[in-house]
Formats: sequence, C-alpha cells, structure tokens
Amino acid sequence: MRCQSVVRLHFDHSNGDLQAPFLVNLYWCIFGVAGLSGMKRTRIVWWSLALLFLYAAESRAAEPRRVLMLHAFNYTFPATTLIADAARKRLLESSPQPLEIDADFLDLARNTDAEYESRIAMFLRTKYGKRTPDVVITLGSAALPFIVRHRDDIAPNVPVVFTSVSPQTHNALRLPANITGIISEFNLDKTLALAERLQPEASRLFVIAGSGEVDRRWQSVARRTIEDRERKFEVTFLFDRSHAKLMEEVENIPRDAIVLYLTFFADNGGNAFVPAEVARSLAAVSPAPLYAPYDTYIGNGIVGGFVETFESVGVRAADMTLQILAGKDPATIAPQTNPGQAYRVDYRAMVGWKLQESNLPPHTAVLFKETSIWSEHPGIVSATILIVALQTIVVAALLIQRRRRLRAENLLKESDERMTFAAAAANIGLWQFDQHRNELWATEHCRTLFGLARNARLSRDAFLAAVHPDDLQNATQSLQGSLQPEQSAISDVRIVLPDGDVRWVRMRARSRSEGGGRPGHLGGIFIDITEQKSAEAEIALQRLEVEHLMRVSVLGELSGSIAHEVNQPLTAILSNAQAALHLLAKESPDLVEIRDALEEIVHEDNRAGEVIHRLRGLLKKGERKAENVNVNDLVRSTMRLLNSEMIGRDINVSLDLEDSVFLTRGDSVQLQQVLLNLIMNAMDAMASTPMAQRFILVTTRGARTEMVDVCVKDRGHGIRPKANGRVFEPFYTTKEHGLGLGLTLCSTIVKAHQGRLALVNDEAGGAIAVFSLPIQQPEIGNA
Amino acid sequence: MMEKFTVYLVDDDPGVLKALSRLLSAKGYDVKPYSSPQIFLEEHDVAVPGCAVLDVSMPGLDGLEIQRVLTAASGYHRPVVFITGKGDIPTSVRAMRAGAIDFLTKPVKDKDLFEALSRAEGRDAESRRLHSEMESVQTKVSSLTPREREVLTHVVAGRLNKQIAGDLGTVEKTIKVHRSRMMEKLGIRTVADLVRMTQKLNLSK
Repeated sequence: MRCQSVVRLHFDHSNGDLQAPFLVNLYWCIFGVAGLSGMKRTRIVWWSLALLFLYAAESRAAEPRRVLMLHAFNYTFPATTLIADAARKRLLESSPQPLEIDADFLDLARNTDAEYESRIAMFLRTKYGKRTPDVVITLGSAALPFIVRHRDDIAPNVPVVFTSVSPQTHNALRLPANITGIISEFNLDKTLALAERLQPEASRLFVIAGSGEVDRRWQSVARRTIEDRERKFEVTFLFDRSHAKLMEEVENIPRDAIVLYLTFFADNGGNAFVPAEVARSLAAVSPAPLYAPYDTYIGNGIVGGFVETFESVGVRAADMTLQILAGKDPATIAPQTNPGQAYRVDYRAMVGWKLQESNLPPHTAVLFKETSIWSEHPGIVSATILIVALQTIVVAALLIQRRRRLRAENLLKESDERMTFAAAAANIGLWQFDQHRNELWATEHCRTLFGLARNARLSRDAFLAAVHPDDLQNATQSLQGSLQPEQSAISDVRIVLPDGDVRWVRMRARSRSEGGGRPGHLGGIFIDITEQKSAEAEIALQRLEVEHLMRVSVLGELSGSIAHEVNQPLTAILSNAQAALHLLAKESPDLVEIRDALEEIVHEDNRAGEVIHRLRGLLKKGERKAENVNVNDLVRSTMRLLNSEMIGRDINVSLDLEDSVFLTRGDSVQLQQVLLNLIMNAMDAMASTPMAQRFILVTTRGARTEMVDVCVKDRGHGIRPKANGRVFEPFYTTKEHGLGLGLTLCSTIVKAHQGRLALVNDEAGGAIAVFSLPIQQPEIGNA
Repeated sequence: MMEKFTVYLVDDDPGVLKALSRLLSAKGYDVKPYSSPQIFLEEHDVAVPGCAVLDVSMPGLDGLEIQRVLTAASGYHRPVVFITGKGDIPTSVRAMRAGAIDFLTKPVKDKDLFEALSRAEGRDAESRRLHSEMESVQTKVSSLTPREREVLTHVVAGRLNKQIAGDLGTVEKTIKVHRSRMMEKLGIRTVADLVRMTQKLNLSK
C-alpha cells in the first residue's frame, strides 16, 4: 500500500511509465537501508495487516478470489517488488470479480537450508489453510522451486504463475502442467552489443560479478557470451572479490574501457548485498561506463543494457492469473519469455561518460532525459513562444522606434542648429508670429539685425521700434499678418541702429493656413541687404558714370566738328563786330548797316549758345530725368550737332520726320545719346563706302498710336553675320578702337524708357537701327 | 589797273558769309559772296583782278579742290586766301604748297584778313604784269624766221658766229645778218638780255 502510494506519487511527478522503476528504486535507496530497522518494518506490517483485514471483510461480502504473491527474497529487492506492484495494479484494475491479494516474503536469499523451507511452508499452510489461494504468483526465480516442492503443503494443486525464471531453471525443473509463467532470459549478448556501439574504440572489457548463487551462474554466462562475441577484448573478470577489493580494482579501470556488471548478491566472504546498491557504488567510483542486463540498475548510475522491464513481467503475469481465475486451464497457457525486453539507457549516465546518443541502437528507450516542456505541451509552448516572440518583437520595435525617434530628434536638433547657424552666417534672422497668442519667436540673430539689447524681449513692437519712421508702415504691414493664407510678402525697410547707423533689412513674411482658410502662423525671415542695396546704388552710379563716359568719348570723337559748330557763329560775330567798327570809323557811318551787323551778332551769339547748351547737357553727369521730350526736335538738334562731322566725312544726310508732335517721357540727354550713338555707328559703317554713296536717312514714324519709331538707315557694310545677335553684348565690338559699350548702353537706356531697340540689315545694303519709344499724349499748352 | 580789285568769298555758312562780306565791304572791297563752290566756279572770271577767300571745309567741294580747279582752268594763278574752322597742319601745308597766300583760322581777325588781301592784291598785280610781259615776248619770238630762231638758240648756247656758221653750213657774214635782225626784232641789245629773256620764256613754259 505504501509502495503503491509512493509509486503513484512518483508517477504523478514524472509523468512517464518508463521512469517508474527508477523512482521505486530511488525509494528503496532512500528508505531501503533504514527500512531494515524495526520501526519502518512495523509500519509496513501494520499496513499489510490492515489491507488483509479489508480484503477479508470484502470476501465475506462477495466471495472474493484469492491470489497469493510469494516473494523469493525480502522486501528490499526492487525487482520482485516492481513485478509485484505492477501485477497487483493490473489485477485490481482488470479483475471482473473482487480479489484478495496476499503477499509473503520467503527471504530465500539469506536462508537456504531445507529446514527453513519446510518451516516457511508450514507457516504458509497455517496462514492460508482456511483461505486457500486460487492462484499463486512467484516473484524471483528461487520462489518457483520452493512452490514446486511445497505446493501441496500449502494449497494442493493450486495453479502457479511464476516470474523471473531463467530458461535453464525452467528446463531443469520439469514443471507440472498447471504451472506456467514468465521466463526471463537475460540477454547479455545484446547488452554487450550496446556497450560496443556506444564505445566503438574500447579495447578493454571488465566483467563484475559476485560470489552468490545467481552471481556464479552469471559468471559462466558472461564467459560464454564474451567468448561468442565477434569483437574481441582484453577481458578482466572481477569475480569473487570482497566488496572493498572490488571497489579498489574498479577505481583503477582505465577511462576508455567497458565495464559489464552482472549481479553482486554476495561477496566471497558470504556477505549479502543488494545488487542495485552495488551498482550505485560501482558507478560512483568507476572511471569507465558500466553496463548491465538489469533494469533495476538503471537509475543507479549505470549506462544501461538490454533489459527486461519488471513492470511488463508483472503485467503479463497478472494477465495469466486473470485467465486462470476466469476458468482457463493453466495447462493450456504456455510459459512466455521476455515480454518486454528492450534497450534501455540512463541519459544522465551517458552524459556523465560522454557517450553519444547517436550511437544508440534503434528503438532504445532513453530514460532520465530532461523532457522538454515542448514535447509535453507543444500548443501552450508554441503559444508562449509566439507570445514571447511577439512581445520581443514589439519591445524591439519599440526600442528601435525609440532609437529612431531619438536619432530623428537629434537630427532635427542638429538640423535646427545647422539652420540657425547657417541663417546667422548668411545674416538671416528667422521669425514666427502666432496671431492668436500674439507671441513672436525669433532667432537670436534678429537682435543683431535690429540692434536690440541682449536682455530685451523679442517682440513685434521691439522690432518695429527699430524701423526707420519712413518705412514703418511697410514693416507694420509685413509683421501684422494681414496676409491671406499661403500668401507671401516682401518689403525692404531701413533699420536705425542705436548708434545711428542705417541698415537695410528685407522682411519676407509668409502666412501659413491653420485650416479652414484662417491665417494662423505668420513666419518669415529678416535678411540684412544693406550690402546689396549699396551695391545696387554703386552699380546705378557706375552705370551713370559709364553712360557719361560714353557720351564724353562720343563728344571727344566729335570734338573737331563741335568746335567748328561753335567757331562758325564766333567767326560771324567777330567779323560783324569788326565790320561795324570799320563802318563807325567812317565819316558818315552807315547806321543801317551797323544795326544789321549788331543784329547778326546777337543772332550768331544765340546760335553759339545753343551749341554750348547741347554740349553741356551731354557732358553733364547727372541723374536720369523724367521730362517730356519732343522726338523730332531731338533728331533735329542731334543732326545739327553732327553737321560738321557729316561734312567732314562727306556724308549726305536726309531727315524724313513725320509732321507730328511725338512726345515721350524720359531723359533728353540719354535719348540724344542713343541717337548720337546710332548715327555715329552709321557714319563709321560707311568709312569704306564710295563717297558718292555715303548717305544717312533718319526718319520718325508714329505708325502705331502708342509708339514712335526712330529709324537710322545707312549704306555701310551692314551688320556682319558673325556679329549678329551679339551686338548688344557688353564689350563686343567690331571697331578697331571701340569699347563695345555703345549699343549695350543704348539698349539699356531705351529699355529704361520702356522702349525697344532693334538692329537689322537693309535688303538694299546697309543697316537699319530702329528704336521705339512710348508716346506721351501731348498736354495742352506744352505742345 | 583797269578794273577794281574784287574779293570772291566762298563759305557754306550763311552767317559767316554775310559777316565777312560786310567786313570786306566796310573796308572798301568789292565782294562777291558765294555760299556754293559750284556757283562760284561757274561765275568766276579770270580776267577780273581779285582774290578768292575760300572756306576749307564745305559740302561737295572743299577749298583746296576749288584752288586746283581754278588753276587748271586758266593757267592763271588766282591768289587764294583760305579760312578754316579746323586749321589742321596737313591741310595748311597742302594749301600753301599750292600757292595760297595765307591760311587763316576762324574766327578771322580783320587785320590778318586785310593784310592777306593786300598781299594778294600785290601778287595779283605782279602776276598780271608778268603775264602781259610774257605775252609780248611770246609775240616777238613768234615774229622770227626759222633761220633767226635757229641762230637765237645757238647764240643763247654761247657759240661764236664762226662756229654757228660752221654748224649751219653757211658763212659767218650771213650769220651776222640773221643775228642783228633777230636782236632788232626782239628789241634786245646785249646777249645777256637775250639769255634772261629766254630764261623767262622757259620758266613760263
């Protein structure tokens, strides 16, 4: 009963039938030795009695069938106990009728004399005389001869089911017909084969057996088996030693040897031992792996062997018993051999001796291998693994995301810093304005731009306070956010710094929609454009300078002619004045003639004055003026200026001016410069034209109502093909001493007057230069 | 002087033309003003004593060309005074080489102009006198017989009568007759005068 409960307990924990023998063994290891003391034994006897009492009560009620189990040895032998327990379990589970199971220990290992046997037989007859067993099961080979000899003493002709009987014993006994059972043939050959497979390199073989009766039988079996094996070893038989001597010799076995342990029921001094216990102590000291043909040793440190499982023997014996109880004639039930033999190994021992699992024969039962949770609960485990994996993935993803976010944040920060730095380096201040909160954010550089103190609060008013009063309106509009969403505005304003310096700042503002079309944030940049502005002013100044220089250079070219233009009136004036003097010197001066002379002087002086005036205009530096210019007058006055030059160059000039007043808005000096330039070009182009053909025609036409065309036509060489398209480029010239700026300037000037300048070749030869100017409607009284 | 000294004034600038002619008239000159060189050339009379005052730079035909045309037409050197607004050296050199009296720069001072005109007047008179003288010599030479002309050539070459007779294949006496007749026809006494006369003729040719 106690055994059962222990077994069950272990069954529950280990979840495997295969491990049960070991656990029972373990139980005996722990309690076995102590069990020899009276206290434990008393307890078991007490439980056994209680069990018997229960069965007795039961049989009275339902006439139970009786089974008597006879153990050959005492209760310390695991093999018989295992068989008994398995058989009992099977019987109780499978019997259709109530059963009474009794058990007795014959203890034949220690008591071998015949007197003891007959006394035990007497005891059993006394004990079971009233309650005759229906079947006797013998456990352990020694119990079978006993029952054969004393069956009739105990229960005449009772059917017997034996277990753990070697074929030799079975054959020797020549059993009566109603005795059947399980023959156990220990296959040492196969155990040795296992050892050979696991240790293919091993060359030495040690065989251990004791000096008991069974031990001696094993000795001869072993010698015979080893001799029959194909593989030959250097064999050492450790037989008939004292326990201590054996231990000593085993300790010195080389590491790569095979140790075959059989049984050790007794040493050479006749001391009894429990073979399983000996197996444990041998395994503890042996450097080489141990193999054995007994299942009970497995778990006590040996590697394993080809063994019979005692449970299977017990179960099979119980089945035979049930058949007999059911009325089957025992004589018809043939004895069975080895119902459950198999290769069995202890995984822990294999690992301890570094043996390869892959070397095991097929269908080997590997015991004590840590069963993985996987094999037991694949579903739960896979689910768990899945969950853990998912969680890991999620955690990893979160970590990655966190890292990315950190990196992105870092990048953002870096980018932000870079942008701020770049903006500051480019003299740009960044700002944003939240209209709802009326808050302004701006980079520190804005302070520098607006000359604000280090501790001053950056606000819209602070910025506006620095703006030049004339530009305040523009600045306010820019910063006020009166813009429509997605609209941008630019205004250039002047900033007055605390030290009085004025700087130009360009305010760029852009309004971002907040959704729903409402303007939300207003943002933008401040750029210091002082240098740009001063550069622009510088360029404008330089352009005026260049224009002036060009005029001066043109006039320089014309200087002779222009001098002539002034000289003529001066000549007339001088001659008239001197004529008057001569007339006055006469006795009766001709006053009419003198008056004429003086009038001429006045006229010629005016004429000279006009030339000087025109010259002064051309020579003067100055800003571009916006005045009404009469285009026809402009042409005429220019032609007058060129009169002498034309004569000097033998060029005929013709004017064809439309009889209308063309007024255009602009600078007469600059426009005259354009005309002068074009006519000078025309003259230069005719340097190699035969004198008789030298001709310039200047026309004005108001073909379209809004524009007046001024056309200068010559009979020169025309525009050379390779120059076409480049004539307006700066510094492009075909003249030997030209600067290449004349036409560039003309084009600039005409464009500044909203006009157009074109230069084409005339089909009849020569070139035509046309510039068009917008017509200003003549004002009344001005025309 | 049979006729009054006339000043031909050519300038394309009407103001200048008017002023200069007024000045010259006031001084007592006969002035013929022309604003166009072509008209001047058409109306010009070599026979009339006088002087041309020409503007150098004029459209169509400039002063230097007028001077050339004038000389080419008659062989008579009409004195020319140039006036110019520009007065560049190459032009003035060319003008002076072509026999210009003066090259005046505008504005022209009356003194300079009058001084140039009086020189021109002298030159014109001289040139006219020389011209008439030449004409009379020419007439005398043309009255000589061919033999006399031959003798003249040899005498001027410095040969003696005897040598001349040898050259011409005649006697010294005959040469003497030709020689005296030739001297008589030409109205010359000495051989030196004869040589001087022939030199003038050669010059004028």
